[in-house]
Order: sequence, then C-alpha cells, then structure tokens
Amino acid sequence: MKREDLIKKWLDNELNVQELEAFKQLEDYNDLVQLSDSVMQFKAPEYNTSEELNTALMHINSEQRSKNWLRPVLRIAAILALSFSVYYYTTTLDTNISTLAAQKTEIQLPDASQISLNASSTITYNKSEWKTNRDISLKGEAFFKVTKGSKFNVNTSAGSVTVLGTQFNIKQRNNYFEVICYEGSVKVTHNTNIVILKPGNSFLLIDGEIIAREKEIALNPSWINNKSTFKSMPFSYVIREFERQYNVTINPQDIDLKQLFTGSFVHNNKELALKSITLPLNLNYSLQNNKAIVLSRE
Amino acid sequence: MNIDISDNICNENLFSTLFTKYSKSLHDFLYYKFGESFNPKDKVQDAFIKLWENCNTISPNKAKSYLFTVANNLMLNEAAHQKVVLKYKNVKPKTSTNETPEFILEGNEYMKKLQSAIANLTEAQRTAFLLNRIEGKKHREIAELLDISTKAVEKRIYGALKKLREDIKGI
Repeated sequence: MKREDLIKKWLDNELNVQELEAFKQLEDYNDLVQLSDSVMQFKAPEYNTSEELNTALMHINSEQRSKNWLRPVLRIAAILALSFSVYYYTTTLDTNISTLAAQKTEIQLPDASQISLNASSTITYNKSEWKTNRDISLKGEAFFKVTKGSKFNVNTSAGSVTVLGTQFNIKQRNNYFEVICYEGSVKVTHNTNIVILKPGNSFLLIDGEIIAREKEIALNPSWINNKSTFKSMPFSYVIREFERQYNVTINPQDIDLKQLFTGSFVHNNKELALKSITLPLNLNYSLQNNKAIVLSRE
Repeated sequence: MNIDISDNICNENLFSTLFTKYSKSLHDFLYYKFGESFNPKDKVQDAFIKLWENCNTISPNKAKSYLFTVANNLMLNEAAHQKVVLKYKNVKPKTSTNETPEFILEGNEYMKKLQSAIANLTEAQRTAFLLNRIEGKKHREIAELLDISTKAVEKRIYGALKKLREDIKGI
C-alpha cells in the first residue's frame, strides 16, 4: 500500500494489524507520531454538556414566561392607542356643510349661532374648538345670526368679517364680495382695509373696486325669503345668481353683461323669474331643455 | 434515542436530546475554527436558543445543519475572518522520555513552530484536522457534522498534515 494511503488510514484509525506494522516502518513514523501527540496540547477547553444544557433550559423557560405576559399587554396597548387616535381624529375634524345649486339650508352652531346658507355655498368650522375659537370659512353666501360671546370670525378668500354678536350677510362669489350689517356692528377686513359697519351699512367689492351703496332698509337679506333682489347690479351677477337658484346654465347671446340691473326674481317659479330678469332689459329667452336657457336681444 | 422526523422541537425533551447530542461538537468546532476570543460557549447557547425560538419551522433532521450554520454566522459577525492562533498547554508530549534542558528547550521551540504552523492552515484544514486528531472524530463523523463528503474531509486532513510538516521543517 502506498505511503499516502497508509497515512490516511492511520489518520482515520482504520489500520488493520498488518497495515499498522507497515506504518510503523515508515520513515516519517516518528515525526508523524510526535506531531500527532503535540497537537493534543491544543485541545479545546472543557465543555460540561449537562451544565450548559441547564443554562439553556433556564433561558428558554424564563423567556417563555416573560414573553407570555408581554404579548397580551402589548396587544391591548396597541388597540387602545389605535382607538384613541381614531376617536381623537374624528372628533377634531372640521365640519363642512355645502349647498348645491337650487338649495338652501339652515345651520345651527354649537353656541346657538345660526347660519342660513344660500345656494352653491360652503362653510367650514371646527366643532371641538368652537368654544374658544369661533372661526368659520365661507365660500359663497350666508346670513349669520351670531349669539353674543367671543369673537366670531368669518374668513373668505376676498376678506374676513369679525363680529361679537350680531346679524349680517356675507356674499362672496367670483370677483364679488359683499357684507351687509343688519344688527350690531361688523368689522370687515379686506387686504389692509378695515371697515366697521353699523346696521344698514354695507361693504361691496366688485372686480376689486369698492362700490358705495345706499343704506339697506330690510331687516334681513331677501334671499332668506326666497327672492333675489338687485340694485344697479351688473347683469352678469344677476345671471349667475339665477343659475345658482335654479340649477340651470344660461347662455347669453350678444348681450351686454355689464349693463346695470335693478329688480328681483323669485326662487320658486322659473317662468316668472325669467320674465322678471328679461323684460326690464328687453331681452328674450328660450328654453333649450330643462337645464339650458338662451337669452337674446329682442 | 430515536427521533421521529414528525416530532416537533418545541418540546423540552426533544430539545434536550438535541442539545446533548450536538452541543459539545458544535463548541469544539467553533473553538478550532475561530479560537477562544469570541466565546464559543455563548455562541452555542445563542444557537440553541435560536433553534428553540424557531422550533416550529425546523424539523429535527435539519436541526444540526441549522445549529452549525447559525453558530457559524454568529461568530462571523464578530470574528470577521481574523487570523486564529490557538493556545497550547505546556504539557510534556508522551513520546519524550528525557528531561534535559536542551530537550525541553527544543520542545518549546517545537511547540512554537507547531502553533504558528497551525495558525497558517486554512480554516477548513485546521478545523477538520483538529477535530480528527484531538477529538478523535472519524472522517465520516466530521463529514456529517460539516455537511461535506468524506473524501473532502480526507483531503483537508491530509493536506493539513502535509502543510504542518513542511512548515515545521521549513521555519
């Protein structure tokens, strides 16, 4: 047998009696044995299996116990945290109320203040903060009856109105911003302008221009009573209000939309309303379908 | 004790059996491969605990591979392939009969050369060689522990032997 094979067999402790004799005859025999013996001194430290096993078992048992109470506690804590945040989130959300075309609505605020909302308008306020902060955002037109209390703020894109307890109307449409005070006193802020309105006073801004007006005699805006009234108002605004109240689209043909209109139309009779806005200006109307109307000159 | 493949390791008895069967081999393997610096005993504990934590997903016949792989990785995270120099105890080799100072000096020098030579082996060679020579493991046993062929084990051990002898003669 080759030397290499003998050595390999020796390494694996597989030498039979004869092979062992042959191995002992090898030149390297002494060297190999010395090497093999000396290597023993590099033995790994003692390993006490039963002791180590105990340590391992202790560890897994204590882990079991500590994990067992922790998991249900964590689950409960997670559910509580989640429900609390959902509750908090939903109760602190802003309240949004909108009207569509041909729709009006009444709103009562947490402090008993009342708002009448005209068609195609939106108000936004925060119920949970109402006690300390009476802030409302308005897009469109609304009539406010504010109970006495802390400052009442209405914010629109054109300007803001602050009152303490009073009745006033705010109309904010495209390029049109109007505040009419019916009772109490109203502070209007527009850009850097501040105006204080007394009952009957109004603040009107059309296309960026402040327009002076006569004193308002009525006790509340006419639209509350389902009638839109205009005094020397550019006809385009009349048309737009008509569209809002009746949920129609008006197609003016070759009409001067800047001409001033004085008059009114009712909200509950389309034919009559159309006559009200066309006759004074010598205009004709024709109904296309339920939704569209064409106005033309006579 | 017969371990059924369908048995679940999440059972203290089975776990203990596996521990008794593999812990020392694992410990020695880690020691010979990585030395003592990174606490082979702790890594054995950690590997078995990981086995317990994952006891639902490991079948008993995969336990050994799992343990060796996990322990090896735990070590690598710390040891990162540093050169391993094993210590030796200054015990007189069996074959020496004389105690002249000269012989003892020679003995010390020999041990130093041997230590250096062992440190120069590859991890694979060193581990297989020492498990065989010191722990008396057969080639087949080592093959099973390391998930390699018996032939591969033989090659590593013989290669180690050859290299050691050359190194010692050469230095």
